[in-house]
Amino acid sequence: MTMDDAARSDDDIVGSVLEGRTRDYEILIRRYSQRIVLFISRMTGDSDDARSIAQDVFLKIYESLPHYRRENNFSAFIFKVARNMTLNFLKRRQRTVLFSRLLGRDLDRAPFRQDPPRLSELEQGEREGELTRQLRLLSEEQRLALVLKVYLEFSYRQIREVTGWSVPKIETLISRAKSRLKKSLRLQESGGEAVMQAREQ
Amino acid sequence: MNCRRITRLLSPWQDGELDPDLGREVERHLRGCAACSGRWAALGELRQRLLRVPPPADDPFLPARVMARLQARPVRGGRLLRAAAWAAVFAAVFAGGFLLQTAIAPGAATAPAASYSSVLLEPQEFGLLSVHDDFLDLFNGGGREAR
Ligand SMILES: [Zn+2]
Repeated sequence: MTMDDAARSDDDIVGSVLEGRTRDYEILIRRYSQRIVLFISRMTGDSDDARSIAQDVFLKIYESLPHYRRENNFSAFIFKVARNMTLNFLKRRQRTVLFSRLLGRDLDRAPFRQDPPRLSELEQGEREGELTRQLRLLSEEQRLALVLKVYLEFSYRQIREVTGWSVPKIETLISRAKSRLKKSLRLQESGGEAVMQAREQ
Repeated sequence: MNCRRITRLLSPWQDGELDPDLGREVERHLRGCAACSGRWAALGELRQRLLRVPPPADDPFLPARVMARLQARPVRGGRLLRAAAWAAVFAAVFAGGFLLQTAIAPGAATAPAASYSSVLLEPQEFGLLSVHDDFLDLFNGGGREAR
């Protein structure tokens, strides 16, 4: 990617792709792929699945470009598609588990399959693995809101653009997700001194 | 403000979504309330732990893979492609039903999943319509490890 490419707006690139300069689409993929894979992997808990779904997302986006209304919000557009495809994937996975149970197979490990741990993860012990598992135990809506907030650093307004939910609903979902995680991870709520440093801004 | 109300504001405050006046009130309250400070500290720790989960490994070939797939198929002449995709779905459902029968039938306990899956279409070809994914998973024992 050249400097010029980096400076171009998403909409500009979309326009260029629609005018027939197909190769320009790669600029958009490079711009978003890491975030999209991160988003999906936090939703599914599996980075192999995430990479494969991300690939489908970019193919789908390409097909949908003629329907994209240019208003400088390509990010919301692409995350909406990623969200839909990820939720579909999760539904399919759930169905697979149900089918498996119907067939009387013991596939308990299937829905919560873990990535093979990487070295850094091993070093940090099992705590992150536990966290990933707990994340997957949240409701889909809570997880979606929390993941967009914490990992993608979206504002509530940006989350609204992706999900269509109201800001109060988003606030409630995130707040409940945090409470639930705090509880299941048994984070202590002891009064402390080093309290004020924890703030984000 | 009482503790209950403050507790409800902690999460949006952490997310940087609280209006500054309310934020100052929260701050003032926390200075004098051990219980709420404890809740706030726990929220901070949760955030730290969430961010400590390592990100997925980078996939440097993803853009090239997508571009290769795009070049291999027509973009807006999608009608033919879609017809082919639907045909594939029907074939997959049919094959899936067949496999189901063989798997359930007594004496046919071991379904030769590998050979069936190689006969079936490559799931990646129709990433959006991976109905038969489920079936393949079923007969691979549910895990993708078998693939
Ligand atoms: Zn208090």
